[in-house]
Amino acid sequence: MRELLAHPIVQSSALPFVVGLLAAALLLPLRLSGLAAAAGFAATVMAVGNFALEPLTATRKLVVLGGAAALLGALADLAFRPTRFTGMVLGALFGGASLWAFASILGQKSPLEAALLGAGLVAFTAWLVAATVSLHYDPVRAGAAALALGLGAGIASVLGASALLGQYGMALGAASGAFLLLVMVLGARVAAGTSLTLTASALAALIAAGAMLLAQVPATALAALALVPVLVRLPLPHVPGWMQAVLASVYAFVAAGGACALAWLAGRGWTI
Amino acid sequence: MKRMTLGALALTLPLAGLAAPENYTLDPYHTYPHFAVEHFGVSMIWGRFDRTSGKFMIDRAAKKASLELTVNTASVSTGDNDKGSRPRSLDEHLRNADFFNVAEFPRMTFKGDSVKFNGDIPAEVTGQLTLLGVTRPLTLKVERWACKDNPFNKKPMCGGNASGSLKRSDFGMKYALPAVSDEVRLYVGFEGYRD
Repeated sequence: MRELLAHPIVQSSALPFVVGLLAAALLLPLRLSGLAAAAGFAATVMAVGNFALEPLTATRKLVVLGGAAALLGALADLAFRPTRFTGMVLGALFGGASLWAFASILGQKSPLEAALLGAGLVAFTAWLVAATVSLHYDPVRAGAAALALGLGAGIASVLGASALLGQYGMALGAASGAFLLLVMVLGARVAAGTSLTLTASALAALIAAGAMLLAQVPATALAALALVPVLVRLPLPHVPGWMQAVLASVYAFVAAGGACALAWLAGRGWTI
Repeated sequence: MKRMTLGALALTLPLAGLAAPENYTLDPYHTYPHFAVEHFGVSMIWGRFDRTSGKFMIDRAAKKASLELTVNTASVSTGDNDKGSRPRSLDEHLRNADFFNVAEFPRMTFKGDSVKFNGDIPAEVTGQLTLLGVTRPLTLKVERWACKDNPFNKKPMCGGNASGSLKRSDFGMKYALPAVSDEVRLYVGFEGYRD
């Protein structure tokens, strides 16, 4: 069992999927099934075993912010009725937090480069969080977006030469996939809420941004990933819920697949 | 009496000169830290850092010495720098967050201030290695040491080889454990010119 859990593929696929599924099912009565993404991700972080608060590197800050997103998301689901401003406020908050996460890298750039990169990071994270959180009312679209964001950020990171960020992203995708599976089986009574949308979008944004700054994922891949919450809003036909989930995932994977393709092309020396 | 004192002074002056601490600046073109790790428990993979700077001091009379090394982590090189049909080369992967995380930690430093001597020759340097923001003690055994004048420019120089080992997991570098060994062997060849 220990050997099995030490395998990177198990750590970033089967483990977060199973933990995510269990968390989604157990938290169903509390309408907090969206915490599946955070639970699966946390399981992978523990299995990989590279987490400590000292020194607090950018990759570790990313994990801390993922935990904060899950807590804040659950709090919002339990205590507030999300309005259309919720996404914007959380977007601005996590956009700012992305600067903290990558401050040690930005601090080593020239002032102009740091300003441009910093502005890009804030805009990307703020957009991805705001646009995804606004899907909180729709578990099918939210689950599909979270699945595509996680897998897109993870696979792009692997292609961009960061295995750890790749594992983190794929774990997020696998756990979100577990949530979506429950939605396919039980329907709309499985709530996505802010706990899923905020955790998935904040983590995916930070993983993708980290893969750009710490590895070789191009900025264009991040731009493609930013289209996930847009494409997932495309109209869905009146078909059974599971089929809608498949279709929404296909929409989302057009953008996520594009991000992976751009990362792969950049690895071969082709850039747009 | 006065003449004898002056004579004794004249005799001891050169010795006093020899006993003074000597400072050397490392020659970056002849100072390379190498490392070796076991891959899948089968072979050893070797690499080195192409850019290193630093200095050392030696005081033979007082049996004191110190060594400071600053390694540019982005200069890591294993010879595998052409990705070919793969998504990345080994060197690219080593520079990323899985290993040396050069964007965040562009430098690795060693500050050795406790040196054991074997006669006039430094035999072991113990100090602090800072890698990935983590500082841990490291001991380097000096396996070779020589001082002479450079045969071409006649500048006085000293140098040698030192080796040691560390556990990369102590520094938070845990990716690919245990497929790539936790133990990293270090071999530093260094030369320095007297300031």
